[in-house]
Amino acid sequence: MAMQSSRPPRSQSNPRYRPYYKRKTCRFCEDKKLKIDYKEPNLLRDFISDRGKILPRRITGTCARHQKVLALEIKRARIMALLPFTVHD
Amino acid sequence: MSLYELMFILNPDLGDEERERFLSRFQALIEKNKGEVLKIEDRGIRTLTYKIQKKSKGRYFLTYLEGPGTMISEIERNLRIDENVMRFVIINLDEQQITRDDICQVEQPVTEEAGQDQTTEEVPHGHAEQ
Repeated sequence: MAMQSSRPPRSQSNPRYRPYYKRKTCRFCEDKKLKIDYKEPNLLRDFISDRGKILPRRITGTCARHQKVLALEIKRARIMALLPFTVHD
Repeated sequence: MSLYELMFILNPDLGDEERERFLSRFQALIEKNKGEVLKIEDRGIRTLTYKIQKKSKGRYFLTYLEGPGTMISEIERNLRIDENVMRFVIINLDEQQITRDDICQVEQPVTEEAGQDQTTEEVPHGHAEQ
């Protein structure tokens, strides 16, 4: 938070500046058939960092409801050694 | 009575005979606790993402059970005692709107979206129009 207060986002300092980005959407809302399941580590891998940490919603665009399920299933997959807890060098 | 999904990792070094003995003991345990085994699926030996008990591989089993909650605590206790069970996870399927029938018919999933990809090939128009 300290970082944000020291340097306000450019959109605030310059109202004409609007960064171009593609709106991220929740993959699980887009595709209702896509089930979040700890037995599918390859799907869950898209939502963890290369260090094995669960990526925040602001990066993946997942909605709050699905992020909650996603976090639970990633943790289950970790217990079953389908996903790593940590990745060491 | 609830539906449960149980996944466990078995010691991969176990012989076929020992594995069969484990599975029959497991089934007997459930029946003793007034439960029912709906399905046992051997998912084969898989490489673990991290070592468990100094082993880098494990044999995965996925089972579906139905039974009272007392059965679950008994299964948990027994799996924890058994050294050949490296890990396990039990999930109650009641919240997930999954019924007995769903589990029994997952056997042969029909893939409908096989040859439906449209490959619209552009026909080259090499002729000069007059």
